[in-house]
Amino acid sequence: MTPFYFGTSDRRIFGIYEPAAPGTAGKRAAVLCYPWGSEYLHAHRAMRQLAIKLSVAGYHTLRFDLFGTGDSGGDMTDASLAGWQNDVHMALEELREIVGAASATLIGLRLGAAIAANVLAQRPDDIDALVMWDPIVRGEHYLADLGVASEAQACPPRNGCDTPQTIEVQGFPLTQDLLREIRSIDLRSFTTEPPARTLIVVTDPSPSHAGLAAPSAMASSAGVPASSPYAQLNTAPPTIEFMNAACPWIEDIASTGVVPITVINRIASWLA
Amino acid sequence: MAGVTKGVSEQAILFGPRQSLVGILARPVAPAQSASSAVLILNTGIVHRVGHHRMYVAISRALAGLGHTVLRFDFSGIGDSDSRNDNLSPLQSCLADIKDAMDWLEANRHVTRVILVGLCSGADHAVLYGHTDPRICGLVLMDPSIPATVRFYFQYMKPRLTHLRNWMTVLTGRSRLVGSLIDEIRHAARTKQSSEELTLQNLRFHPCLEQSYQNAVARSIKLLAIFTGESTRQTYREQILDAFPNVSFGEHLRLEFFPGSDHTFFRQADRDTLTRLLLEWVASISDNCVEPAPPQTI
Repeated sequence: MTPFYFGTSDRRIFGIYEPAAPGTAGKRAAVLCYPWGSEYLHAHRAMRQLAIKLSVAGYHTLRFDLFGTGDSGGDMTDASLAGWQNDVHMALEELREIVGAASATLIGLRLGAAIAANVLAQRPDDIDALVMWDPIVRGEHYLADLGVASEAQACPPRNGCDTPQTIEVQGFPLTQDLLREIRSIDLRSFTTEPPARTLIVVTDPSPSHAGLAAPSAMASSAGVPASSPYAQLNTAPPTIEFMNAACPWIEDIASTGVVPITVINRIASWLA
Repeated sequence: MAGVTKGVSEQAILFGPRQSLVGILARPVAPAQSASSAVLILNTGIVHRVGHHRMYVAISRALAGLGHTVLRFDFSGIGDSDSRNDNLSPLQSCLADIKDAMDWLEANRHVTRVILVGLCSGADHAVLYGHTDPRICGLVLMDPSIPATVRFYFQYMKPRLTHLRNWMTVLTGRSRLVGSLIDEIRHAARTKQSSEELTLQNLRFHPCLEQSYQNAVARSIKLLAIFTGESTRQTYREQILDAFPNVSFGEHLRLEFFPGSDHTFFRQADRDTLTRLLLEWVASISDNCVEPAPPQTI
Protein backbone atom coordinates (compact mmCIF):
# COMPACT_ATOMS: atom_id res chain seq x y z
CA MET A 1 0.00 0.00 0.00
CA THR A 2 1.38 3.39 -0.97
CA PRO A 3 -0.40 6.61 0.03
CA PHE A 4 0.66 9.51 -2.18
CA TYR A 5 -0.35 12.74 -3.86
CA PHE A 6 -0.65 13.06 -7.62
CA GLY A 7 -2.17 15.45 -10.12
CA THR A 8 -1.13 18.98 -10.96
CA SER A 9 0.36 21.67 -8.74
CA ASP A 10 -2.98 23.43 -8.38
CA ARG A 11 -5.01 20.24 -8.15
CA ARG A 12 -3.36 17.84 -5.73
CA ILE A 13 -5.17 14.53 -5.40
CA PHE A 14 -4.61 12.09 -2.56
CA GLY A 15 -4.69 8.44 -3.48
CA ILE A 16 -3.74 5.04 -2.16
CA TYR A 17 -2.15 2.56 -4.52
CA GLU A 18 -2.61 -1.07 -3.59
CA PRO A 19 -0.48 -3.40 -5.70
CA ALA A 20 -1.69 -6.79 -6.86
CA ALA A 21 -0.77 -9.46 -4.34
CA PRO A 22 2.52 -11.22 -5.00
CA GLY A 23 2.06 -14.32 -7.09
CA THR A 24 -0.93 -12.98 -8.99
CA ALA A 25 -0.32 -12.61 -12.67
CA GLY A 26 -1.05 -9.85 -15.13
CA LYS A 27 -1.35 -6.11 -15.18
CA ARG A 28 -5.00 -5.67 -14.43
CA ALA A 29 -5.82 -2.29 -12.96
CA ALA A 30 -8.85 -0.73 -11.29
CA VAL A 31 -9.63 2.81 -10.19
CA LEU A 32 -12.10 3.11 -7.32
CA CYS A 33 -14.34 6.18 -7.09
CA TYR A 34 -15.72 7.07 -3.67
CA PRO A 35 -19.16 8.49 -2.97
CA TRP A 36 -19.53 12.05 -1.67
CA GLY A 37 -20.13 13.76 1.66
CA SER A 38 -21.08 11.74 4.70
CA GLU A 39 -21.52 8.75 2.36
CA TYR A 40 -17.80 8.98 1.59
CA LEU A 41 -16.95 8.98 5.27
CA HIS A 42 -19.07 5.95 6.09
CA ALA A 43 -18.16 3.94 2.98
CA HIS A 44 -14.40 4.49 3.26
CA ARG A 45 -13.94 1.26 5.18
CA ALA A 46 -15.85 -0.82 2.63
CA MET A 47 -13.97 0.71 -0.30
CA ARG A 48 -10.66 -0.12 1.36
CA GLN A 49 -11.79 -3.72 1.85
CA LEU A 50 -12.82 -3.85 -1.79
CA ALA A 51 -9.34 -2.69 -2.82
CA ILE A 52 -7.73 -5.34 -0.62
CA LYS A 53 -9.99 -8.01 -2.07
CA LEU A 54 -9.15 -6.96 -5.62
CA SER A 55 -5.46 -6.96 -4.76
CA VAL A 56 -5.73 -10.60 -3.75
CA ALA A 57 -7.58 -11.24 -7.02
CA GLY A 58 -4.64 -9.83 -8.98
CA TYR A 59 -5.72 -6.22 -9.49
CA HIS A 60 -3.60 -3.15 -8.95
CA THR A 61 -5.95 -0.55 -7.52
CA LEU A 62 -5.91 3.18 -6.97
CA ARG A 63 -8.58 4.71 -4.76
CA PHE A 64 -8.48 8.44 -4.39
CA ASP A 65 -10.23 11.43 -2.87
CA LEU A 66 -11.98 13.77 -5.26
CA PHE A 67 -10.69 17.35 -5.24
CA GLY A 68 -12.11 19.26 -2.29
CA THR A 69 -12.87 16.04 -0.41
CA GLY A 70 -10.96 13.79 1.98
CA ASP A 71 -7.23 14.41 2.05
CA SER A 72 -7.10 15.89 -1.45
CA GLY A 73 -6.36 19.55 -1.99
CA GLY A 74 -8.97 22.26 -2.27
CA ASP A 75 -12.27 22.95 -0.58
CA MET A 76 -15.77 21.92 -1.47
CA THR A 77 -16.36 25.43 -2.74
CA ASP A 78 -13.75 24.69 -5.44
CA ALA A 79 -15.39 21.43 -6.49
CA SER A 80 -17.32 20.71 -9.66
CA LEU A 81 -18.65 17.58 -11.32
CA ALA A 82 -16.58 18.29 -14.43
CA GLY A 83 -13.49 18.74 -12.26
CA TRP A 84 -14.18 15.46 -10.48
CA GLN A 85 -14.43 13.70 -13.84
CA ASN A 86 -11.01 15.12 -14.68
CA ASP A 87 -9.75 13.72 -11.37
CA VAL A 88 -10.84 10.25 -12.50
CA HIS A 89 -9.01 10.79 -15.80
CA MET A 90 -5.87 11.75 -13.86
CA ALA A 91 -6.23 8.71 -11.61
CA LEU A 92 -6.57 6.45 -14.65
CA GLU A 93 -3.42 7.92 -16.19
CA GLU A 94 -1.55 7.63 -12.91
CA LEU A 95 -2.47 4.00 -12.38
CA ARG A 96 -1.78 3.00 -15.98
CA GLU A 97 1.61 4.63 -15.68
CA ILE A 98 2.37 2.81 -12.42
CA VAL A 99 1.20 -0.56 -13.67
CA GLY A 100 1.94 -0.29 -17.36
CA ALA A 101 -1.57 -1.46 -18.19
CA ALA A 102 -3.22 -0.67 -21.51
CA SER A 103 -6.62 -0.25 -19.93
CA ALA A 104 -8.27 -0.15 -16.53
CA THR A 105 -11.52 -1.01 -14.81
CA LEU A 106 -13.60 1.72 -13.19
CA ILE A 107 -15.51 0.98 -10.02
CA GLY A 108 -17.76 3.60 -8.44
CA LEU A 109 -20.08 3.73 -5.45
CA ARG A 110 -23.12 6.02 -5.38
CA LEU A 111 -22.10 9.44 -6.78
CA GLY A 112 -18.73 7.91 -7.62
CA ALA A 113 -20.53 5.49 -9.93
CA ALA A 114 -22.26 8.31 -11.78
CA ILE A 115 -18.93 10.09 -12.23
CA ALA A 116 -17.33 6.86 -13.45
CA ALA A 117 -20.13 6.36 -15.98
CA ASN A 118 -19.52 9.82 -17.42
CA VAL A 119 -15.79 9.16 -17.65
CA LEU A 120 -16.49 5.92 -19.45
CA ALA A 121 -18.58 7.80 -21.97
CA GLN A 122 -15.64 10.16 -22.55
CA ARG A 123 -12.97 7.48 -23.08
CA PRO A 124 -14.54 4.08 -23.76
CA ASP A 125 -11.40 2.69 -25.38
CA ASP A 126 -9.33 2.97 -22.21
CA ILE A 127 -11.77 1.27 -19.88
CA ASP A 128 -12.20 -2.48 -20.01
CA ALA A 129 -15.02 -2.82 -17.47
CA LEU A 130 -17.29 -0.70 -15.32
CA VAL A 131 -18.78 -1.60 -11.96
CA MET A 132 -21.48 0.68 -10.60
CA TRP A 133 -22.35 -0.02 -6.97
CA ASP A 134 -25.73 1.46 -6.06
CA PRO A 135 -25.25 4.27 -8.58
CA ILE A 136 -26.96 7.63 -8.33
CA VAL A 137 -29.22 7.35 -11.35
CA ARG A 138 -31.01 10.67 -11.14
CA GLY A 139 -29.37 13.62 -9.49
CA GLU A 140 -32.71 15.21 -8.66
CA HIS A 141 -33.72 12.16 -6.60
CA TYR A 142 -30.32 12.03 -4.93
CA LEU A 143 -30.50 15.64 -3.82
CA ALA A 144 -34.03 15.12 -2.56
CA ASP A 145 -32.79 12.18 -0.48
CA LEU A 146 -30.10 14.46 0.93
CA GLY A 147 -32.78 16.94 1.94
CA VAL A 148 -32.03 19.54 -0.73
CA ALA A 149 -35.07 21.40 -1.96
CA SER A 150 -35.70 21.28 -5.68
CA GLU A 151 -34.84 24.31 -7.74
CA ALA A 152 -38.50 25.27 -7.92
CA GLN A 153 -38.98 24.82 -4.16
CA ALA A 154 -35.86 26.79 -3.26
CA CYS A 155 -36.70 29.62 -5.59
CA PRO A 156 -40.24 29.52 -6.93
CA PRO A 157 -40.62 31.01 -10.44
CA ARG A 158 -41.64 34.71 -10.55
CA ASN A 159 -40.40 35.29 -7.00
CA GLY A 160 -36.98 36.37 -8.21
CA CYS A 161 -35.32 35.28 -4.98
CA ASP A 162 -31.62 35.46 -4.26
CA THR A 163 -30.37 31.97 -3.59
CA PRO A 164 -27.21 31.73 -1.50
CA GLN A 165 -24.06 30.87 -3.42
CA THR A 166 -23.40 27.96 -1.09
CA ILE A 167 -25.73 25.79 0.95
CA GLU A 168 -24.93 23.19 3.57
CA VAL A 169 -25.88 19.62 2.79
CA GLN A 170 -25.40 17.12 5.61
CA GLY A 171 -22.70 19.33 7.08
CA PHE A 172 -20.85 19.91 3.81
CA PRO A 173 -20.89 23.08 1.73
CA LEU A 174 -22.27 22.76 -1.80
CA THR A 175 -22.13 25.54 -4.36
CA GLN A 176 -25.10 26.33 -6.57
CA ASP A 177 -23.01 25.43 -9.62
CA LEU A 178 -22.23 21.98 -8.25
CA LEU A 179 -25.85 21.55 -7.22
CA ARG A 180 -26.90 22.25 -10.80
CA GLU A 181 -24.38 19.75 -12.11
CA ILE A 182 -25.50 17.04 -9.71
CA ARG A 183 -29.15 17.79 -10.46
CA SER A 184 -28.45 17.20 -14.13
CA ILE A 185 -27.22 13.65 -13.59
CA ASP A 186 -29.48 11.25 -15.40
CA LEU A 187 -28.03 7.84 -16.10
CA ARG A 188 -31.20 6.76 -17.84
CA SER A 189 -29.65 8.40 -20.85
CA PHE A 190 -26.54 6.33 -20.39
CA THR A 191 -26.67 4.94 -23.91
CA THR A 192 -23.07 5.35 -24.84
CA GLU A 193 -21.73 2.03 -25.94
CA PRO A 194 -20.73 0.40 -22.69
CA PRO A 195 -17.56 -1.60 -22.41
CA ALA A 196 -17.87 -5.30 -23.01
CA ARG A 197 -18.53 -5.92 -19.37
CA THR A 198 -20.58 -3.66 -17.11
CA LEU A 199 -21.98 -4.66 -13.74
CA ILE A 200 -24.53 -2.70 -11.77
CA VAL A 201 -24.97 -3.87 -8.19
CA VAL A 202 -28.02 -2.60 -6.37
CA THR A 203 -28.50 -3.19 -2.65
CA ASP A 204 -30.77 -0.22 -1.99
CA PRO A 205 -33.22 -0.29 -4.91
CA SER A 206 -35.03 2.79 -6.05
CA PRO A 207 -37.51 3.08 -8.91
CA SER A 208 -34.95 4.90 -11.02
CA HIS A 209 -32.57 1.95 -11.01
CA ALA A 210 -34.93 0.09 -13.30
CA GLY A 211 -34.57 2.86 -15.86
CA LEU A 212 -30.85 2.27 -16.27
CA ALA A 213 -31.18 -0.47 -18.84
CA ALA A 214 -33.82 -2.23 -20.84
CA PRO A 215 -36.09 -4.26 -18.55
CA SER A 216 -35.02 -7.45 -20.23
CA ALA A 217 -31.44 -6.76 -19.25
CA MET A 218 -32.33 -7.66 -15.71
CA ALA A 219 -33.04 -11.21 -16.79
CA SER A 220 -29.70 -12.55 -17.84
CA SER A 221 -31.13 -15.10 -20.25
CA ALA A 222 -33.35 -12.66 -22.09
CA GLY A 223 -32.36 -11.13 -25.38
CA VAL A 224 -32.12 -7.43 -26.09
CA PRO A 225 -35.38 -6.11 -27.47
CA ALA A 226 -35.35 -4.07 -30.67
CA SER A 227 -36.51 -1.04 -28.71
CA SER A 228 -33.48 -1.10 -26.42
CA PRO A 229 -30.68 1.37 -27.13
CA TYR A 230 -28.30 -1.57 -26.88
CA ALA A 231 -29.95 -3.22 -29.87
CA GLN A 232 -28.09 -0.87 -32.19
CA LEU A 233 -24.82 -1.47 -30.38
CA ASN A 234 -22.38 -4.29 -30.71
CA THR A 235 -22.41 -4.98 -27.02
CA ALA A 236 -24.38 -6.50 -24.19
CA PRO A 237 -26.47 -4.35 -21.88
CA PRO A 238 -25.22 -3.87 -18.35
CA THR A 239 -25.83 -6.71 -15.98
CA ILE A 240 -27.95 -5.55 -13.06
CA GLU A 241 -27.86 -7.57 -9.89
CA PHE A 242 -29.99 -6.86 -6.87
CA MET A 243 -28.39 -8.05 -3.66
CA ASN A 244 -29.53 -8.14 -0.08
CA ALA A 245 -26.68 -6.47 1.82
CA ALA A 246 -25.91 -3.62 4.19
CA CYS A 247 -25.47 -0.16 2.71
CA PRO A 248 -21.99 0.93 3.82
CA TRP A 249 -22.62 4.60 3.01
CA ILE A 250 -25.40 4.87 5.58
CA GLU A 251 -24.56 5.32 9.24
CA ASP A 252 -26.92 3.88 11.77
CA ILE A 253 -26.50 2.04 15.05
CA ALA A 254 -27.09 -1.34 13.46
CA SER A 255 -24.74 -1.02 10.50
CA THR A 256 -21.97 1.43 11.40
CA GLY A 257 -18.67 0.01 10.25
CA VAL A 258 -20.28 -3.03 8.63
CA VAL A 259 -18.59 -4.11 5.42
CA PRO A 260 -20.94 -5.83 2.93
CA ILE A 261 -18.59 -8.64 2.13
CA THR A 262 -21.10 -10.40 -0.14
CA VAL A 263 -21.11 -7.40 -2.48
CA ILE A 264 -17.32 -7.11 -2.38
CA ASN A 265 -16.94 -10.81 -3.14
CA ARG A 266 -19.44 -10.56 -5.99
CA ILE A 267 -17.62 -7.63 -7.58
CA ALA A 268 -14.31 -9.49 -7.32
CA SER A 269 -15.71 -12.71 -8.73
CA TRP A 270 -17.50 -10.90 -11.55
CA LEU A 271 -14.30 -9.12 -12.55
CA ALA A 272 -12.36 -12.37 -12.39
CA MET B 1 4.35 12.04 -1.98
CA ALA B 2 3.66 15.70 -1.16
CA GLY B 3 0.99 18.15 -2.23
CA VAL B 4 0.82 21.92 -1.76
CA THR B 5 -2.40 23.84 -1.16
CA LYS B 6 -2.57 27.54 -0.29
CA GLY B 7 0.83 27.76 1.37
CA VAL B 8 0.46 24.42 3.14
CA SER B 9 2.42 21.35 2.16
CA GLU B 10 0.81 17.98 2.80
CA GLN B 11 2.78 14.77 2.74
CA ALA B 12 1.47 11.22 2.99
CA ILE B 13 3.53 9.13 5.38
CA LEU B 14 3.75 5.53 6.54
CA PHE B 15 5.16 4.90 9.98
CA GLY B 16 5.17 2.53 12.94
CA PRO B 17 7.23 -0.64 13.43
CA ARG B 18 5.66 -2.28 10.38
CA GLN B 19 5.14 0.92 8.39
CA SER B 20 1.46 0.15 8.71
CA LEU B 21 0.15 3.46 10.05
CA VAL B 22 -1.03 6.02 7.49
CA GLY B 23 -0.88 9.73 8.18
CA ILE B 24 -0.84 13.13 6.52
CA LEU B 25 1.76 15.59 7.66
CA ALA B 26 0.71 19.20 7.08
CA ARG B 27 3.39 21.89 7.25
CA PRO B 28 3.76 25.49 6.21
CA VAL B 29 5.64 25.94 2.96
CA ALA B 30 7.62 28.63 4.75
CA PRO B 31 9.73 27.50 7.74
CA ALA B 32 7.57 26.32 10.63
CA GLN B 33 6.82 28.83 13.38
CA SER B 34 8.10 26.49 16.05
CA ALA B 35 9.94 23.64 14.44
CA SER B 36 10.22 21.73 17.69
CA SER B 37 6.49 21.49 18.41
CA ALA B 38 3.62 19.87 16.56
CA VAL B 39 -0.08 19.11 16.77
CA LEU B 40 -1.21 15.47 16.59
CA ILE B 41 -4.84 14.80 15.67
CA LEU B 42 -6.45 11.50 16.72
CA ASN B 43 -9.31 9.53 15.18
CA THR B 44 -12.88 9.89 16.41
CA GLY B 45 -14.32 6.39 16.77
CA ILE B 46 -14.00 4.54 13.47
CA VAL B 47 -14.08 7.68 11.33
CA HIS B 48 -10.81 7.96 9.44
CA ARG B 49 -8.33 10.78 9.82
CA VAL B 50 -10.21 13.43 7.79
CA GLY B 51 -12.77 13.62 10.61
CA HIS B 52 -16.48 14.35 10.56
CA HIS B 53 -17.38 16.77 7.81
CA ARG B 54 -13.64 16.90 6.96
CA MET B 55 -13.07 18.98 10.08
CA TYR B 56 -9.58 17.64 10.77
CA VAL B 57 -8.41 18.53 7.27
CA ALA B 58 -9.62 22.09 7.76
CA ILE B 59 -8.05 22.31 11.22
CA SER B 60 -4.76 20.83 9.99
CA ARG B 61 -4.50 23.29 7.13
CA ALA B 62 -5.50 26.26 9.26
CA LEU B 63 -2.86 25.42 11.87
CA ALA B 64 -0.22 24.70 9.22
CA GLY B 65 -1.13 27.97 7.53
CA LEU B 66 -0.15 29.73 10.75
CA GLY B 67 3.20 27.98 10.87
CA HIS B 68 2.48 24.79 12.83
CA THR B 69 3.40 21.22 11.97
CA VAL B 70 0.33 18.96 12.12
CA LEU B 71 0.00 15.20 11.79
CA ARG B 72 -3.38 13.51 11.39
CA PHE B 73 -3.26 9.74 11.17
CA ASP B 74 -5.30 6.56 11.46
CA PHE B 75 -5.06 4.21 14.41
CA SER B 76 -4.34 0.58 13.61
CA GLY B 77 -7.37 -1.04 12.02
CA ILE B 78 -9.05 2.34 11.36
CA GLY B 79 -9.15 4.11 8.00
CA ASP B 80 -6.16 3.15 5.89
CA SER B 81 -3.95 1.75 8.64
CA ASP B 82 -3.50 -2.00 8.96
CA SER B 83 -4.34 -3.80 12.17
CA ARG B 84 -1.57 -4.55 14.64
CA ASN B 85 -0.32 -8.08 15.09
CA ASP B 86 0.72 -7.90 18.74
CA ASN B 87 -2.57 -8.84 20.45
CA LEU B 88 -2.89 -5.53 22.30
CA SER B 89 -6.36 -4.60 23.50
CA PRO B 90 -8.11 -1.93 21.38
CA LEU B 91 -7.32 0.75 23.96
CA GLN B 92 -3.68 -0.24 24.42
CA SER B 93 -3.31 -0.51 20.64
CA CYS B 94 -4.40 3.12 20.20
CA LEU B 95 -2.08 4.33 22.95
CA ALA B 96 0.82 2.45 21.35
CA ASP B 97 -0.03 4.05 18.01
CA ILE B 98 0.09 7.53 19.55
CA LYS B 99 3.58 6.76 20.84
CA ASP B 100 4.60 5.57 17.37
CA ALA B 101 3.35 8.86 15.91
CA MET B 102 5.21 10.84 18.57
CA ASP B 103 8.39 8.89 17.90
CA TRP B 104 8.06 9.48 14.16
CA LEU B 105 7.65 13.23 14.68
CA GLU B 106 10.69 13.32 16.93
CA ALA B 107 12.89 11.17 14.69
CA ASN B 108 11.90 12.76 11.39
CA ARG B 109 10.86 16.33 12.24
CA HIS B 110 12.85 16.85 15.47
CA VAL B 111 9.62 17.55 17.33
CA THR B 112 9.99 17.43 21.11
CA ARG B 113 6.70 19.03 22.23
CA VAL B 114 3.27 17.93 21.05
CA ILE B 115 -0.36 18.98 21.48
CA LEU B 116 -2.87 16.15 21.18
CA VAL B 117 -6.30 16.87 19.68
CA GLY B 118 -9.21 14.47 19.99
CA LEU B 119 -13.00 14.31 19.88
CA CYS B 120 -15.01 11.74 21.85
CA SER B 121 -12.92 8.55 21.93
CA GLY B 122 -10.05 10.61 20.51
CA ALA B 123 -10.26 12.89 23.54
CA ASP B 124 -10.28 9.85 25.83
CA HIS B 125 -7.17 8.47 24.13
CA ALA B 126 -5.54 11.90 24.42
CA VAL B 127 -6.15 12.26 28.16
CA LEU B 128 -5.10 8.68 28.90
CA TYR B 129 -1.89 9.04 26.88
CA GLY B 130 -1.11 12.68 27.58
CA HIS B 131 0.12 12.37 31.15
CA THR B 132 2.37 9.39 30.35
CA ASP B 133 4.64 11.14 27.85
CA PRO B 134 6.72 14.14 28.87
CA ARG B 135 6.69 15.39 25.29
CA ILE B 136 3.01 16.31 25.57
CA CYS B 137 2.48 20.00 26.36
CA GLY B 138 -1.22 20.45 25.59
CA LEU B 139 -4.46 18.53 25.18
CA VAL B 140 -7.52 19.60 23.20
CA LEU B 141 -10.38 17.47 24.51
CA MET B 142 -13.68 17.70 22.65
CA ASP B 143 -16.52 15.93 24.46
CA PRO B 144 -14.27 13.66 26.50
CA SER B 145 -15.78 11.05 28.80
CA ILE B 146 -16.64 12.55 32.16
CA PRO B 147 -18.81 11.11 34.91
CA ALA B 148 -22.40 12.24 35.25
CA THR B 149 -23.04 14.50 38.22
CA VAL B 150 -26.14 15.31 40.25
CA ARG B 151 -26.46 18.57 38.35
CA PHE B 152 -26.13 16.67 35.06
CA TYR B 153 -29.19 14.59 35.90
CA PHE B 154 -31.08 17.61 37.17
CA GLN B 155 -30.35 19.59 34.01
CA TYR B 156 -31.23 16.59 31.91
CA MET B 157 -34.49 16.01 33.73
CA LYS B 158 -35.63 19.62 34.11
CA PRO B 159 -37.13 20.15 30.65
CA ARG B 160 -38.71 16.72 30.81
CA LEU B 161 -40.46 17.09 34.17
CA THR B 162 -43.32 19.13 32.78
CA HIS B 163 -44.38 16.41 30.36
CA LEU B 164 -46.99 14.04 31.72
CA ARG B 165 -45.86 11.38 29.24
CA ASN B 166 -42.42 11.27 30.85
CA TRP B 167 -43.94 10.72 34.28
CA MET B 168 -46.05 7.93 32.88
CA THR B 169 -42.99 6.16 31.46
CA VAL B 170 -41.30 6.42 34.88
CA LEU B 171 -44.36 5.12 36.73
CA THR B 172 -44.78 2.24 34.30
CA GLY B 173 -41.10 1.33 34.48
CA ARG B 174 -40.44 2.18 30.83
CA SER B 175 -38.23 5.22 31.41
CA ARG B 176 -34.95 4.95 29.53
CA LEU B 177 -33.40 7.56 31.80
CA VAL B 178 -34.23 5.63 34.96
CA GLY B 179 -32.99 2.46 33.28
CA SER B 180 -29.72 4.05 32.27
CA LEU B 181 -29.33 5.60 35.72
CA ILE B 182 -29.63 2.18 37.35
CA ASP B 183 -27.18 0.76 34.81
CA GLU B 184 -24.74 3.56 35.55
CA ILE B 185 -24.90 2.98 39.29
CA ARG B 186 -24.30 -0.74 38.81
CA HIS B 187 -21.52 -0.15 36.32
CA ALA B 188 -19.84 2.43 38.52
CA ALA B 189 -20.00 0.20 41.58
CA ARG B 190 -18.52 -2.73 39.67
CA THR B 191 -15.73 -0.65 38.15
CA LYS B 192 -14.75 1.02 41.41
CA GLN B 193 -14.83 -2.12 43.52
CA SER B 194 -12.78 -4.30 41.25
CA SER B 195 -9.60 -4.06 39.28
CA GLU B 196 -11.64 -4.27 36.09
CA GLU B 197 -9.57 -3.79 32.96
CA LEU B 198 -9.73 -0.23 31.68
CA THR B 199 -11.69 0.22 28.46
CA LEU B 200 -13.29 3.22 26.80
CA GLN B 201 -16.65 1.80 27.84
CA ASN B 202 -15.91 1.87 31.59
CA LEU B 203 -13.57 4.87 31.50
CA ARG B 204 -16.14 7.28 32.96
CA PHE B 205 -16.36 5.21 36.14
CA HIS B 206 -12.71 4.23 36.41
CA PRO B 207 -10.50 5.89 39.02
CA CYS B 208 -7.83 5.98 36.36
CA LEU B 209 -9.60 8.85 34.59
CA GLU B 210 -9.40 11.31 37.47
CA GLN B 211 -5.81 10.21 38.07
CA SER B 212 -4.98 10.96 34.43
CA TYR B 213 -6.26 14.52 34.80
CA GLN B 214 -4.38 14.93 38.07
CA ASN B 215 -1.15 13.74 36.48
CA ALA B 216 -1.66 15.99 33.47
CA VAL B 217 -2.09 19.03 35.68
CA ALA B 218 0.92 18.00 37.77
CA ARG B 219 2.94 17.93 34.57
CA SER B 220 1.76 21.46 33.71
CA ILE B 221 0.02 20.20 30.58
CA LYS B 222 -2.41 22.84 29.29
CA LEU B 223 -5.96 21.63 28.71
CA LEU B 224 -8.62 22.97 26.40
CA ALA B 225 -11.86 21.14 27.15
CA ILE B 226 -14.70 21.75 24.71
CA PHE B 227 -18.19 20.46 25.32
CA THR B 228 -21.12 20.45 22.94
CA GLY B 229 -24.63 21.10 24.16
CA GLU B 230 -26.38 18.49 22.07
CA SER B 231 -24.19 15.67 23.26
CA THR B 232 -25.77 13.32 25.80
CA ARG B 233 -22.54 13.19 27.79
CA GLN B 234 -22.87 16.51 29.57
CA THR B 235 -25.46 19.17 30.12
CA TYR B 236 -23.44 22.10 31.41
CA ARG B 237 -20.10 23.78 30.98
CA GLU B 238 -18.59 23.12 34.41
CA GLN B 239 -19.50 19.44 34.60
CA ILE B 240 -15.85 18.44 34.35
CA LEU B 241 -15.03 20.54 37.42
CA ASP B 242 -17.83 18.96 39.46
CA ALA B 243 -16.98 15.48 38.25
CA PHE B 244 -13.34 15.74 39.32
CA PRO B 245 -13.37 17.75 42.57
CA ASN B 246 -9.95 16.41 43.54
CA VAL B 247 -8.20 17.82 40.48
CA SER B 248 -6.80 21.32 40.89
CA PHE B 249 -7.28 22.40 37.30
CA GLY B 250 -6.63 26.07 38.07
CA GLU B 251 -5.22 28.00 35.16
CA HIS B 252 -4.24 24.80 33.37
CA LEU B 253 -7.78 24.34 32.11
CA ARG B 254 -9.73 26.43 29.66
CA LEU B 255 -13.38 25.49 29.35
CA GLU B 256 -15.53 26.13 26.30
CA PHE B 257 -19.14 25.19 25.68
CA PHE B 258 -20.87 25.04 22.29
CA PRO B 259 -24.52 25.00 23.43
CA GLY B 260 -26.06 24.72 19.97
CA SER B 261 -23.59 22.30 18.45
CA ASP B 262 -24.03 18.60 18.03
CA HIS B 263 -21.33 16.09 18.96
CA THR B 264 -19.75 16.14 15.47
CA PHE B 265 -19.84 19.91 14.88
CA PHE B 266 -22.28 19.33 12.06
CA ARG B 267 -22.74 23.00 11.13
CA GLN B 268 -20.03 24.83 9.22
CA ALA B 269 -20.43 27.85 11.50
CA ASP B 270 -19.64 25.72 14.56
CA ARG B 271 -16.62 24.20 12.81
CA ASP B 272 -15.38 27.65 11.86
CA THR B 273 -15.73 28.81 15.47
CA LEU B 274 -13.98 25.66 16.65
CA THR B 275 -11.09 26.19 14.23
CA ARG B 276 -10.65 29.80 15.34
CA LEU B 277 -10.70 28.70 18.96
CA LEU B 278 -8.03 26.07 18.35
CA LEU B 279 -5.80 28.50 16.46
CA GLU B 280 -6.08 31.06 19.23
CA TRP B 281 -5.54 28.53 22.04
CA VAL B 282 -2.57 26.82 20.39
CA ALA B 283 -0.96 30.23 19.95
CA SER B 284 -1.71 31.12 23.58
CA ILE B 285 0.14 28.10 24.96
CA SER B 286 3.13 28.41 22.68
CA ASP B 287 5.37 29.24 25.66
CA ASN B 288 4.37 25.97 27.25
CA CYS B 289 5.37 24.12 24.11
CA VAL B 290 8.79 25.53 23.37
CA GLU B 291 10.51 24.58 26.59
CA PRO B 292 12.30 21.25 26.57
CA ALA B 293 10.30 18.35 27.88
CA PRO B 294 10.63 17.99 31.65
CA PRO B 295 12.25 14.81 32.97
CA GLN B 296 9.85 11.94 33.51
CA THR B 297 8.98 11.80 37.19
CA ILE B 298 5.49 10.31 37.32
